[in-house]
Amino acid sequence: MKRPLAGSLLLLAVVAGCGADPAQDTSGSKELEVLYRVEPTWPHLEKMLTGAKKQYEATHPGVTVKLTAVQGTNEAYYTKLALLNRSPDSAPDVYYHDTFQVNADVAAGKLAPLDDYLAKWPDWSSQFPDSVKQAAMGGDGKVYGVPISTDTRGLWYQKDVFTKAGLPVPWEPKTWNDVLTAARTIKQKVPGVVPFAMYSTKIHGEASTMQGFEMLLYGTPGGTLYDETQKKWVAGGKNFTDALTFVNTIYREELGPKQADAHNAKLGDKITLEWFPTAKLGISLDGAWASSAWKATGTKPWPEWTEKMGWTPMPTQNGEPPGAVSMSGGWVIAMSAYAKNKQEAFDFITVATSKENSTVYSVGTGDLTARKDVAADPKYSEGNPSIKFWTDLASVTHYRPAFEEYPKVSTEIQKAMEAVTTGAQTPEEAAAAYVKGLPAAVGGPDKVLAR
Amino acid sequence: MTVATAPQSPPVTSPPQRGPARRGVLRWLLPLGPALLILAVFLAGPILWSVYIAFTNETLTGSASVNSQFVGVANFVKLFGDPTFLNSFFLTFVFVIGSAVIGQNTLGLIIALLQRGRGRVTRSVVNGVVIAAWVVPEVVAAACWFSFLAEEGTLNTVLGIQQEWLYTAPMVAVILANIWRGTAFSMLVYSAALSEVPADLVEAAAVDGAGPGRRLLHITLPLIRRSIMANLMLITLQTLASFGLIYALTGGGPGTASQTTPLYMYEQAFRYFEIGYGSAIALVMLVIGALFSLIYLRLIKVEDA
Repeated sequence: MKRPLAGSLLLLAVVAGCGADPAQDTSGSKELEVLYRVEPTWPHLEKMLTGAKKQYEATHPGVTVKLTAVQGTNEAYYTKLALLNRSPDSAPDVYYHDTFQVNADVAAGKLAPLDDYLAKWPDWSSQFPDSVKQAAMGGDGKVYGVPISTDTRGLWYQKDVFTKAGLPVPWEPKTWNDVLTAARTIKQKVPGVVPFAMYSTKIHGEASTMQGFEMLLYGTPGGTLYDETQKKWVAGGKNFTDALTFVNTIYREELGPKQADAHNAKLGDKITLEWFPTAKLGISLDGAWASSAWKATGTKPWPEWTEKMGWTPMPTQNGEPPGAVSMSGGWVIAMSAYAKNKQEAFDFITVATSKENSTVYSVGTGDLTARKDVAADPKYSEGNPSIKFWTDLASVTHYRPAFEEYPKVSTEIQKAMEAVTTGAQTPEEAAAAYVKGLPAAVGGPDKVLAR
Repeated sequence: MTVATAPQSPPVTSPPQRGPARRGVLRWLLPLGPALLILAVFLAGPILWSVYIAFTNETLTGSASVNSQFVGVANFVKLFGDPTFLNSFFLTFVFVIGSAVIGQNTLGLIIALLQRGRGRVTRSVVNGVVIAAWVVPEVVAAACWFSFLAEEGTLNTVLGIQQEWLYTAPMVAVILANIWRGTAFSMLVYSAALSEVPADLVEAAAVDGAGPGRRLLHITLPLIRRSIMANLMLITLQTLASFGLIYALTGGGPGTASQTTPLYMYEQAFRYFEIGYGSAIALVMLVIGALFSLIYLRLIKVEDA
């Protein structure tokens, strides 16, 4: 019978964690398994790790590094990692980890604290700024990963499109309305061009929440997902509805990508590889990394990008101080609590996040570096005039409330965004649905602050 | 099959011979032992475990993944109050009826009927084409249909229009794709069944003046009714569980417009990491599959009576 078989396959996958791998062989040599993400248009991490493996094995005889790639989007990577982490037999020793997932994994006991090792690593105190050290800090104040990147978010715009639309270049929007007005002008004056692109559907996962929704919400007066003073999650309210209204306006007035593109997992590639270089897109709400594809070493070399592209901060709703908003997150290299050879695993992390390898990673991905020495290296900012702008956005940036419940809150937000993207719900209805779903996501109505 | 039907065997009149029977059972059981053990460990074990998980708040990560708790029927209460689940349930029903019961079943029967008495070459070509669609993996089939229905795809190019089929009519798209892919199975079942229909019976009816329609309705279909029921049961169960095709074609979207129950279960269990809730959904699907089987088996019995 089909059903029980499918059910048991599902369970086998969970129990066995998709194929256990004997981490140790009997000859006495040690093996470290490193899990990471790769995509055809995003080979940068693999390139860096392959180099780190060579360097590490040369200086650590008797230890081999096994690089295990997960092909696909961030969402596919989170799922694969969570499944592998179900069992000590299948859990990788070292892995690339999104900071917003760290606290949930700390609560689940999947991650090893690194403080004792970090205390003996001179780079940690000399090269990592204190703000960056918080990136992977658990609720217990211990550090659970070494940051490999950080980021900020803002608006990219195509100057040719702006010129054709009769819009000023450089463009400095002061309010959401300025952004919408520019998008409407493009729609009217330059037909065939997508005026404004943003991520707003479930398929884009955390990108929709962070680059999309939170860039709006944290730009409203007092807008936040979590009330720090009362230690409660904020249920909807006017800020929330206003942010959804912006998304709704984009799609109802057809200022955004077509529905087919809004739901296409490859929207990011379309934006950077197709639409911007061919002047088919006016504005995009995205992050610092977007330009990495256009470098000579990128997937779509576009030498003119430094003249054709503009960048400007995302304004607050009505220009409230500080006038701009940004969100920051980033990725760390973390160590599994199940790792058998912890010292070796930590040594590999220090190699992967060394100055040399961090530079390779940052130059490739366009993410902002976590290290002071890399930031000071001319190689880092070479050929990328936008780096200073994105780095300076740190002065207005916000961090996600990266508690254990955050990933679930994020999925509730994605549902609300997708509902207004397709037009299935009005902003008010979608916000009401969020208010209804929030208590279950955060573990009870006592953790929710009604607005 | 877990179908409880009343045994209609006559009452046992003579007392069972205990000694030899027991030795017989042992002789029968010993060689089967390893197989039974493997079944218990790899099939029954996971199923029972999944039933248990469905009554907990187990997650893939977070504190609930280390101390998951027994929550009774909470998952099921949540499930039946969840509009997204009810929507997925409705879509699954539409998908099964549309693509399997009506689409694959009818089309398979029509192709099998049309092929009767055709030349070997025609049959080979038609069989080849239909079966080719069946043997390609789900994901490949989905990729074919994606490129056919995409905005710059074959269909729009041929028709010379701009239409986002996968977003304006996602259910139609996945139903068509599943009919395309699955018709071969029904066709093969019916070809085999039709070859068993005695030709002289059909000829006799023709001589008596019955037209093609009446011959089909009163001679052919009643003779192959068991095959029809068996086929319906198999393709229903197969379609209920269909995942890869829809996932690759529309991902359940836009929104939840083509999110059938297996996709909803995947989203809950593996995107949102709610393994307990996901298992509860799987359990409900298992019951639905069993119910469908029961209905079909009952129909066969009624027909036989």
